[in-house]
Amino acid sequence: MLLKRIRRRRESFTGYLFVFPWIIGFLLFMAYPIYFSLNMSFHKVLITSEGIQKDFLGWDNFKYAFLSDPKYVEELLVFIKSVVFMIPIVVVFAMLVALLINQPIRFKGLFRAIFFLPVVITSGEVVKELFAQGATTISIVERYGIIQFIEANLSPSWSEPIIAIIQQLIVILWYSGVQILIFLAGLQKVNSQIYEAASIDGASPWEIFWKITLPSIKPFILVNIIYTTVDLFTNSLNDVIILIKEHMFKINTGFGYATAQAWIYFMIIFVILLFVVVIFGRNEDYNPRKAGR
Amino acid sequence: MSSFHGNKVNPTRMHKSQFKFYLFLISLSAFMILPIIFMFSQSLKPIGELFLYPPRFFVENPTFKNFYDLFNVTSVTVIPMTRFLFNSIVVTGSVVFLSITISAMAGFALSKLEFKWKKVLFEANIIALMFVSAAVTIPRYFVVDTLGLTDNLLGHIIPVLAMPVGLFLIKQFVDQIPNEIIQSASIDGATNFTIFRKIVVPVIMPAMATVSILAFQMAWNNTETSEIYMNKETLRTFAFYMTTLTGNLENKVAGQGIAAAAALIMFVPNLIIFIFMQSRVIDTMAHSGIK
Repeated sequence: MLLKRIRRRRESFTGYLFVFPWIIGFLLFMAYPIYFSLNMSFHKVLITSEGIQKDFLGWDNFKYAFLSDPKYVEELLVFIKSVVFMIPIVVVFAMLVALLINQPIRFKGLFRAIFFLPVVITSGEVVKELFAQGATTISIVERYGIIQFIEANLSPSWSEPIIAIIQQLIVILWYSGVQILIFLAGLQKVNSQIYEAASIDGASPWEIFWKITLPSIKPFILVNIIYTTVDLFTNSLNDVIILIKEHMFKINTGFGYATAQAWIYFMIIFVILLFVVVIFGRNEDYNPRKAGR
Repeated sequence: MSSFHGNKVNPTRMHKSQFKFYLFLISLSAFMILPIIFMFSQSLKPIGELFLYPPRFFVENPTFKNFYDLFNVTSVTVIPMTRFLFNSIVVTGSVVFLSITISAMAGFALSKLEFKWKKVLFEANIIALMFVSAAVTIPRYFVVDTLGLTDNLLGHIIPVLAMPVGLFLIKQFVDQIPNEIIQSASIDGATNFTIFRKIVVPVIMPAMATVSILAFQMAWNNTETSEIYMNKETLRTFAFYMTTLTGNLENKVAGQGIAAAAALIMFVPNLIIFIFMQSRVIDTMAHSGIK
C-alpha cells in the first residue's frame, strides 16, 4: 500500500517535470494574456504613450457588438454558416483521399507529399502574398475558362451548385493537408490481417469500410473535426478576425471592444466544439472486435 | 481488396483496376501544386506580363530581372541582408527544436502519466487553441516587456514555444500507443525518461515531423515579434525585412516584380523543409511499432 503510494507520487512528480516547461510558457504567453483580454473586454481601453487607460463599462462592449455594431453580427453569421458547411466536407474529403492513398498503389509517397503540400501555403505570409498577387482560388479557375465552360453547357439550376462546389473545392483541398496525414496514420494502424480475414469471410469492400475501417479510425475523426474547426476559425485571413483586428486600433471602439468581439467569437467556437465532442466523443473506446461480430 | 501485399508499401507493378485511383489522385494533385507553380511563374515574369490584362497564369518570357532588382535594392540598405537572415535562422532553428521537445514531453506526460491536473491542463490547451491570437497581442506585449525580452533575440523565441497545436497533435498520437508496451517497459525497469526517449519518441516521429513543419512555418514567416517587440533594426528577422522592403515599393511599378521575387525567396525554405521532413513522415509511418 505504502509502496504503491510512493510509486504513484513519484509518477506524478515526473509527470509534472515533463509538463513543466510547457506550463511555464503556457501560463505566461497564453493563460495570462487570455485572462487579461477577458478583463479588458469589460473596459474601455485607451492606449496612450503613458500606458493604458481603463474605464469600467460592464457589459456595454458586448451589448454594442450585438445591438449597435453594423457589421459584426452579420459577418459572424455569414462566416459560421460557411464554416459549418465546410467542416464535414473537409473531413470527409480528407478521409476519402487518405483511403485512396492507403490503397496499394505506386507513388504513394509522392501523392502523400503533394496532398500535404498546401500546409506550407495556407499558413502565414505565403497565402497572404498569394492573395495579394491575385492567385485567389476563384480567379485561377476563371482564367482557364472552366466556369464559363460549365455555364455554357449546363442549365443554371445545375451549373450554380457545381460552380459553388468547384470554387470551394480548392479551398477544401488546401485546408485538408494535416487531416489527410492524421487519417493515414490511423489507417496504417489497422492490422492488414483483419482485412484479409474479412475478405476471406466474404465481406464486400463496402462492408469492410463500414464495419472495420470506420470504427478503427473513429478517434481520428474526432481529432480531425476539432482540428478543422480550429483551423478554419483561427485562420488569420477570415473576415471576422480581420474585423476584430480593425477595431483594435480604432479610437472610438478600441482594444476593449475588440477583445469583447474576440470573446464572443471564442464562445461560439467553444459551443461548436462542445457539440462535436458530445456527438462524436461518446463511445471513443470503441472495440473493433465487436464490429466483426 | 484482394491485392494486399503485406508490409510492402508499393506494389511491384501497376494494375488496370487501379487506374481510376490514379485518375482521381492526379487530377486533384494538379490543384494542389497550382499555387506553387504560380509563385514561381509570377517571380519570373517581366513587368509587362505582370500587368497584363486579362492576367496569364504561366510566364511567357521568363527573366531573372526581378531577382536582379531585388538584389540591387537589398545591397544599398545600411544593414546587410545577411544579418536578418542570420537572425531568422537562429530564431527558427531554436523555435523548431525547443517547441517540439516541449510539446513531445508534455504530450507524453498528459497522455501516459498519472497526475492530478492533467485533464485540466489538456483542456486549457484546447481553449488556447481556439482563442484568436490577435486578441492577446497587447497583453502578450506587456508580459514580454516585463520579462525584459524586448530588443532581445530571445523575444522572438520564448513567447511562441508553448504551441497549442503541437501539443494537441502529439498528445493524440501518444494516446494511440498501447499502455501495455509502456507498462512492460516500466516492469523491466525503464525509467519514464528512458520510456520517453526509447519508445515514445520513435513511435510519434510522424507527428513530430508534422509539428516541426508547422513550427518552422510559424517561426520563419513570423513578422509580428519583429514588429512589436523589437525596436533595434538589427534584431529583426528576414520575414519582416522582406515585408518592409516590398511594402515600401508597393506603389511603384517595379515593386510588383520585386515583391514576387521576394515572396518566392521567402517561400523556398518552407518548401525545402517540407520536402525534407515529409520524407521522415513517410519513413517512420511505415515502420512504426504501433499496429
